[in-house]
Amino acid sequence: MSKKVNSSVGAALHKVIMVGSGGVGKSALTLQFMYDEFVEDYEPTKADSYRKKVVLDGEEVQIDILDTAGQEDYAAIRDNYFRSGEGFLCVFSITDDESFQATQEFREQILRVKNDENIPFLLVGNKCDLNDKRKVPLSECQLRAQQWGGVPYVETSAKTRENVDKVFFDLMREIRSRKTEDSSKSSSRTKDKSKRRKLKCTLL
Amino acid sequence: MAPPPLVTGISPKEGPPGTKITIRGENLGVKANDLIGVQICGGDCSFEWQSRNKIIARTGINGTKGKGDVIVTSLSGGAGTSTVQFRTYTEMIGPLKESAVWVEESPVQSLAWGRRTMAPSGYSQEDPLGLSIEGNEKKFPDDLREIFPEHSGDLSRENFSPCWFLLENHHATSFDDLKAGYSFLKRKVEGQKEGQLSFLKTHVSAVIDQLDTLMNLKTKMEIEGEIDLAKRVNNLQGTIEKSIESSHELFDDVLSRREKADKARAALSVLNRYKFLFCLPTNIEKNASKNEFDIIVNDYARAKNLYGKSEIPLIQKVLAEVDEIILEIRRKLHQKIQEMPQGVEQQKRFVKSLINLEIQQVGTIQSEKLKIVDPAWGAIESRARYIEQTFKNTYEEFQERENSMKDNSKRDLNAPPIRVLFCEEITEIATGQFPDLWRLGQSYFTGELRGINEPKPGNFKQIILNAIERFCSYVRAAILPQNQKFQAVASWAFTSSSQLQQFSTWLPTCLRYLRVSYASLIRLDLPGEALDIVLKLIDELRLFCLTTILKRAIDKVKKLHEKETWELTVPEFPGATALPSKLEEILVEVLDEGQQICLMMEVRENPLFDTPNSEGHREVAKIVETILSCFSNVVEELATERSDDEVQHMPKQLIGFPTNSSLLPHSINLTEAKSTISSTITITWEHRLLCCLANSAYCNKTFINSLGNLFVKFGYPIPKLALENSRTIVNNVFSNLLEIYVEHKSDPLVSTIEPSMYIVSHFKWNRVEKFDNLSPYTHECLDNVVSVYSEIFAVSPFLLRPILEQIIQTIAEELARLMSCVEEFNVIGKKQATLDIRMIRDVLRVYSNERAKASFNEALESIPKLANDENREVENLLAIIKQQMKLQLMCLTVLNP
Ligand SMILES: Nc1nc2c(ncn2[C@@H]2O[C@H](COP(=O)(O)OP(=O)(O)O)[C@@H](O)[C@H]2O)c(=O)[nH]1
Ligand SMILES: [Mg+2]
Repeated sequence: MSKKVNSSVGAALHKVIMVGSGGVGKSALTLQFMYDEFVEDYEPTKADSYRKKVVLDGEEVQIDILDTAGQEDYAAIRDNYFRSGEGFLCVFSITDDESFQATQEFREQILRVKNDENIPFLLVGNKCDLNDKRKVPLSECQLRAQQWGGVPYVETSAKTRENVDKVFFDLMREIRSRKTEDSSKSSSRTKDKSKRRKLKCTLL
Repeated sequence: MAPPPLVTGISPKEGPPGTKITIRGENLGVKANDLIGVQICGGDCSFEWQSRNKIIARTGINGTKGKGDVIVTSLSGGAGTSTVQFRTYTEMIGPLKESAVWVEESPVQSLAWGRRTMAPSGYSQEDPLGLSIEGNEKKFPDDLREIFPEHSGDLSRENFSPCWFLLENHHATSFDDLKAGYSFLKRKVEGQKEGQLSFLKTHVSAVIDQLDTLMNLKTKMEIEGEIDLAKRVNNLQGTIEKSIESSHELFDDVLSRREKADKARAALSVLNRYKFLFCLPTNIEKNASKNEFDIIVNDYARAKNLYGKSEIPLIQKVLAEVDEIILEIRRKLHQKIQEMPQGVEQQKRFVKSLINLEIQQVGTIQSEKLKIVDPAWGAIESRARYIEQTFKNTYEEFQERENSMKDNSKRDLNAPPIRVLFCEEITEIATGQFPDLWRLGQSYFTGELRGINEPKPGNFKQIILNAIERFCSYVRAAILPQNQKFQAVASWAFTSSSQLQQFSTWLPTCLRYLRVSYASLIRLDLPGEALDIVLKLIDELRLFCLTTILKRAIDKVKKLHEKETWELTVPEFPGATALPSKLEEILVEVLDEGQQICLMMEVRENPLFDTPNSEGHREVAKIVETILSCFSNVVEELATERSDDEVQHMPKQLIGFPTNSSLLPHSINLTEAKSTISSTITITWEHRLLCCLANSAYCNKTFINSLGNLFVKFGYPIPKLALENSRTIVNNVFSNLLEIYVEHKSDPLVSTIEPSMYIVSHFKWNRVEKFDNLSPYTHECLDNVVSVYSEIFAVSPFLLRPILEQIIQTIAEELARLMSCVEEFNVIGKKQATLDIRMIRDVLRVYSNERAKASFNEALESIPKLANDENREVENLLAIIKQQMKLQLMCLTVLNP
């Protein structure tokens, strides 16, 4: 193991997973957040891993981003990836209604795998720089976020960097507060529950 | 040392060996060759540096399986660290899995080597208990393994052990979960049992049929009893045997058909598997015709990799065919490399493809058939040849064009001459082509284009030098005068002076073209030696351009006499006209233009006059001298030209007061002057002569020296010697003109003395009767001197002394001569002569030089000596006369008028 990882053992690690249909800008958001760069060309992702140190409200933490594939053919392996996530950015493109419809499915899959209604989760409407090509009305997005138990809804642009930092930091804050909550409770019960829940799902 | 590389992102994060990975992070090498290594899971990778934040790598085959760090090593930062990990997994190629790669049948290879990456297979295996094994990756003590030696957790193995399976996969699963798993398993088994029953259910009608047949048989046999039983049995046996036979037949038929089908299928699958190889020859040719040599290189490499070691004869045969085609391709590439014109990038691609194919073909028979030593060098050479040829062609083409132009003289005189167009064209070619050649050379020397063979020890620098030399000599031939110093590669002489004349105004344009091209060469970072060749040409051209500009002044100066207005406009030197300032204007104009175009240095140029006595100095001095001597000529010409009228009218004028002394007051308003000159009053020749005298005196005294400042102002060296020489010339002009004027004035003046002494009143010195006034000749002489004085004074008091001294000297000499010729004086004559001579001597004293004084004395000595009282008498009268004529003669007594 490298020195770097050892030295950052102390810093809390928050695992974020990017989900959403292909082409909505998950990778673009990730790369913009990680490296301040905007990638114009579209290259489908399989599963990319990023990790760096950031300062969250004055405290040094590590963010681990798993950028996943939106494509259907990878749906089977998504379960596995989702399990390791502590928080989710569920991304769609405001210029593509289909991608918005797909968020419903992603949300369900996450809840099924994590078996936790309150899992840190942000609904992200990306490509807001292309507002003139908007296909999904803002009200509809907000309504859906409301229906999902009031998850935050944020519009971003990986191109202009608008709200990019915000979504990642907001999510990390939620993850952090969830962790402190969890550690104060006894965790064994919830864990057992989640396993059973998962089992049922496999049978269905 | 720079900070060590840090990898913070990989895309994708897992894959089989050979996966292409985009690595991102910080300090991943400052440039391509700073990055020296990428290790993933402990195995070396091939990599391509993109930026200090991005690398593209491909995992190798020697890394360990499982998760591992991504370590980037750079020269500047050393070995780095990573915050993310890559997971290598092996992809099993099962019978059901489609693979782009042929896998040898006997020992199943584990390495997948292909264009596609596939979903990890590990996830497709389901846990028999229906549980996730997530969270069970943690290690458990190795000694547990020893309790179950040779047991396996793999369901498909013979030595499968449930205990070990649970330990291996579910040592961390909670008991509740296990219980749930158990019931899941049970349900599954039950489900399978149910399956048998349902089989019966689905085939219920067949079962009923069979039952019915059995029942029928039973009743029939009961009815017919034992009769013919044996016969029936026999029959039955026969029928059964027959049916067995026919069933065998049927079966065999089906079998053989199946066998055929299998064979066909096998053949098809082989064909399919080897499709790539079998199609390769046609594909290569197709790609070759589309110039897609990269694809050929890739495909060839793939074929070599996959089948190169195969011993199957068919494959070997196809490979040999492919090799033969590749050989052809290499030939073709070699040709294409040398084809011109083409872009460098394309040429480089061809070279790289050729080298690649060559390397891959090493070891085959075909490889021996074609040896291309260093194709990149060939590319350089052919490019250099092409450049030189282009220069030559362009040169000849334009020469031809100029020749054909000659016949029709209707050419627009304002259009640029062919040579200028040529200059534009060839400099553009140079600007466009040299960078390509240079870049190609650079790529060659960085090793980018190096093949199997050692680089040819050719002298690339010499090639560049030659090409530039060639370029310069064509430009030189076209625009510079032939020069013996350079052995001319080409000569393109001007056929007429008017052609040269017309061309020379375009020199600055040519200079600009050349400078643009020079600047682009400088940007290339060529060796100084190469740049110096162009620099030399530019310096020459600058100097040539400068001399042509300056020479233009000569022509203008030659026409200056048309510009003379005879206005006396030089306040500090009365008598001098505007002519010198006109010369100055011309000089300012050409010096300024010369400075703008030629003296000002652009990037990487030298000052034209850096070393004293350089060619530049000499040229400029020569021209300056010519300009000034032309100017002197103009002055002289202006002084000496006079119309016939003036010649006739001239001598009379001497007598009495000059016509119009106030003709040209010293400060004239310009417009007034012009109108005066052009309309009524013509200026006398004497007047013009005096002006010219004044001009040359002014030039000698101040003007020429002041020109030196002009040169300083415009950044030229002062042509001291030239100015000095010009002063001498101007001085000569002055003396010549002075002589003309003096002769012109003194001849009539002096020659009238004798006649007016004797002829007028039949005068004899020994018969003088009255002594009360000056003799008439004395009066006349003095009057004449005063009139000359006033003529000169009206133009330029500076000229009084030089002119009057000469005239008075001749007067004195004439008087001496006349006195010495007198044979006899009477007493009164003695007194009268003394009075006259002394009067003249005294009045003219200020302007008498030594010789004049001596002559006056000589004249007095020729007169017999006076007695004291006689002398007193003379002096008294002299004083009285002087007093009387005081006003008239006062001018002659002023020392510095
Ligand atoms: N205009 C605009 N284009 C975007 C934005 N985000 C991503 N894209 C583009 O959308 C395409 C798909 O992006 P990508 O990040 O690869 O999508 P992913 O499949 O969700 O990872 C790329 O061509 C991006 O350049 C955005 O905010 N604005
Ligand atoms: Mg992506």
